[in-house]
Amino acid sequence: MNARAFGPDETVDFVVVGSGAAGGVMARELAQAGFEVLVLEQGSRFTAADFKHDELDTWFNNALLNNPETSPQTFRRTAQDKALRVRDFPSLWYARMVGGSSNHFTGNFWRFHEVDFKERSLLGAIPGTSFADWPIDYAELEPYYTKVEWEVGVSGLAGASPFDPPRSKPYPMPPLPVKSSGVLLERGARKLGLHPFPAPMAIASVPYRGRPACAHCGFCIGFGCEMQAKSSTLYTMIPEAEATGRCEVRSDSYVFRVETNERDRVTGVSYFDRDRRERFQKAKAVVLCANGAETARLLLMSANAKFPDGLANSSGLVGRNLMFNTYAEVHAVFEHELNEYKSVQVTRIVHDFYDSDPQRGFYGGGGFDARIGPNPIAWSLFAPPPDRAWGAEFKSLLEAMPRAMVVATHGTSLPLETNRVDLDPELKDAWGLPAMRVTYRDHPDDLAMAGFLQDRGVEVMQAAGAQQVWKGRLTEASGSPHLLGTCRMGNDPQTSVVDRHHRTHDIRNLFICDGSSFVTSGRGQPTMTIQALAFRAGDHIARFAQRGEI
Amino acid sequence: MDNNNTSRRQFLRAAGGTLGAAWLGTHWPDLAAAAEHAHAAAAGRTDHHFRVLTPGQARDVEAIAAQIVPSGDTPGAREAGVVYFIDQVQAGVYASAAPEFLAGLAAFQGDFAKSGAGPGQFADLGGSGQRSYLKGIETTPFFGTMRFLTVLGLLALPSYGGNEGKAGWKLVGFVDQHAWEPPFGHYDRGYPGFEPYAKERG
Repeated sequence: MNARAFGPDETVDFVVVGSGAAGGVMARELAQAGFEVLVLEQGSRFTAADFKHDELDTWFNNALLNNPETSPQTFRRTAQDKALRVRDFPSLWYARMVGGSSNHFTGNFWRFHEVDFKERSLLGAIPGTSFADWPIDYAELEPYYTKVEWEVGVSGLAGASPFDPPRSKPYPMPPLPVKSSGVLLERGARKLGLHPFPAPMAIASVPYRGRPACAHCGFCIGFGCEMQAKSSTLYTMIPEAEATGRCEVRSDSYVFRVETNERDRVTGVSYFDRDRRERFQKAKAVVLCANGAETARLLLMSANAKFPDGLANSSGLVGRNLMFNTYAEVHAVFEHELNEYKSVQVTRIVHDFYDSDPQRGFYGGGGFDARIGPNPIAWSLFAPPPDRAWGAEFKSLLEAMPRAMVVATHGTSLPLETNRVDLDPELKDAWGLPAMRVTYRDHPDDLAMAGFLQDRGVEVMQAAGAQQVWKGRLTEASGSPHLLGTCRMGNDPQTSVVDRHHRTHDIRNLFICDGSSFVTSGRGQPTMTIQALAFRAGDHIARFAQRGEI
Repeated sequence: MDNNNTSRRQFLRAAGGTLGAAWLGTHWPDLAAAAEHAHAAAAGRTDHHFRVLTPGQARDVEAIAAQIVPSGDTPGAREAGVVYFIDQVQAGVYASAAPEFLAGLAAFQGDFAKSGAGPGQFADLGGSGQRSYLKGIETTPFFGTMRFLTVLGLLALPSYGGNEGKAGWKLVGFVDQHAWEPPFGHYDRGYPGFEPYAKERG
C-alpha cells in the first residue's frame, strides 16, 4: 500500500513531531493500530545512496547534523555566565533527517538493568540533585525491549553477560563477528577476572526482515548506512508505518509551535514547510518525539497567554535535568595490526562496574567497550597526547594507527535542575526562532565515575599486553548526542512533566516520548531504552484513543 | 582504479551474497551511486595551482604543515599535497572561515618578521629553527587550525585537494574499500568463539 498524503484541511488523529528513534516507532505503532498519522520532520529525507564515505563532510562539516550557521546554539556552564555561541560543532547534536539520530548512531543497544529504574530507593537521596526512581520498572518495560530487538533488529548473544537482566526471548540475530579490539578487550578483561561479552548492536549481522547484513565497511559511527544494515528507523519502522496506508512522513517540516485552545487542549501544530511558509496542521492529539533537546525547546517556544512558561510546564521542569552520560577514552597500541577502521565500532563490552558501589565513595556506574572512535581523521586529531600532537612523534603515532584501539567508557550523569535547555534571549536561528541555549556542568560524582572506569580500562589494556597505553583527556562535557531528562516522567505533576504513560500532566491530548522522558541517565547507550519506551507509549496511547480517553 | 574495482567486487559479493540477486536488483542504483561517488572522490585533483593563497603564503603554509607531519622514509604532509587542500577548502567547504584563517596567517607572518628569528619568511628557516619557532606558538589558535587542516589535508578524500595519491591513507594503513570480511586484523584471526561463563551469580 502507498504512503498516505493528507490534504491541507484534513484533521489527522495524531501529529508526531520528529521521525527518529522514538518518532519512527511511535508512527508505526499508531498507524498499525489503525490511526491516521502525520509525522512532521524538520530534516530532509535521505536514501542509502546519499550516505557517503566522506569523513570530512560527515564529521567536520556537519553533513548530517544541524548546520551551526542556520541552527545556532549557545552554551554556558552556569546560569551566572553569558552563554556564548557554539562554533563549528553543535553542543547538543543529532542527525537532522528522516530517521533522526538512528541513522548515525553507533548502534550500541544495551538494555537498562533493573537497578536503573529504582536506584533512588536502593541508594537514598543524593543532596543537590533530583535523583529519583522511575514510575515504571524493568519488568514492565521488558516486553518492549524484546520488541525492539525483534522488530527493529538487534544482534547479540543472550545469556552471555552474567549481569544481564532477565529476558523473555533471545536475540533474533547472532552477534557481529568479533574484531581484534574485541578479542584484546576480552583477553585483558578475562585475565583480570572480569566478564566481557559480545556487544548487542542494532546492526544486522545476517539478512533480516528484508535488509542485508553488515558489509563491515567501517563508516559507521556518525555515518548513515549505505547498506541499510544499521537498524535505523529510516529503514525499519518508517517504511512499515507508511505501508499501512495511514501514515505520511512529511520531511523539511519544522514545527515551531504546538497550538492550544481555550479548553487547554492541543489543536495542532504550526510549522515551516520546505519553502519556509508558515502552515498549520490540525490534529486530535500530538506526540512530541523531537529528541531531548528539541522537544523541550518546542514546548518553551509554544508559550502563550494561558501557558506563559511554555506548554506542559506547570512543574517548571521542561528543559531541566538535562543528562548526557559521561564518556572517556583509553588509547592503546599493540604489537600487531588490528585494522580497526574496518567493520562496526563495538564487538565486546564489560559491565562488571555497572552497579553503583558505595565503597567507591561516589555515586555512579557504567561500562566500557572496545572500539577505535570515528575514522582516521578524528583519531589523528584527538587521540594523540599533547606532547605527541605534531612533528616526528606525531607521525610515528599516525603510522601506528593500524595497531591502535580505544577503550571507551560510558557512565551515569546525575540529574541536576540547573543543567538545562532553554531559549537564548538574543540569538535567533535562520527561521527567526530563538536559538537553543545549553547550561551544563557535570556533577563531581559523574567525573569521578568516568575516571574510575578509565582506570579500569588502563588495567585491561595492560593485561592484554599493550605496548603503549595512555588516557584521553577527561574534562567536563560541553555537549553530547545523548539528550536526556528534559521532560522527565513521574507520577507527581509537581516533579515531572509526563506521567507513566507519557501523557503530559497538564494537557490531556499532548504526549511526549523520547530521551526527554528519562528520569535517570542509565549507563550510556540510551537509544534502546528510548525505543522500548516508544513501543510501550505507542501501545498505551493507541488504547487511550480506542477507548475515547484522549 | 584497481583498488576501486576490487572494492566494488567485494561490495557486490557482500550485498548480493547475503540477500541474493533480487535485493541487489532493487537496490543496485543506490549502491552504484555510492560506489561511483567513492571512485570519483578518491581520484582527487590533478592541477597544482592556488586559488586563494599567494605564493608567499603557500610557502609558509606548506612549511608549517611539513613540520606537523614531516617527510622522511615515508611521505609526509608535503608529499600528500596538504597545501593544495588548505588552499582549496578556503574557497570550498571552509570558505566561511577563510577570512579568519587568512587573518591568522597574516598575523603569523607579521609576528615572524618582527621576531628576529631569521631573515625572510618562516619557510626560509632551517628545519630546527622552524621547529623551535613553532614550539613557541603551539598553543595559539592559528597553530591549532593549521594542525586541524593538516590532518584533514592528509586524510580527507583526495577530491578535497590533498591526500595526493592516497599518501595519507597509506601512512595510517587505511584502505578505502566498500566492504570487508573477517578476519579484520591479527588478533581476531583464529578466535575460537565466545566461551560462556559458568553460572556464578545465581
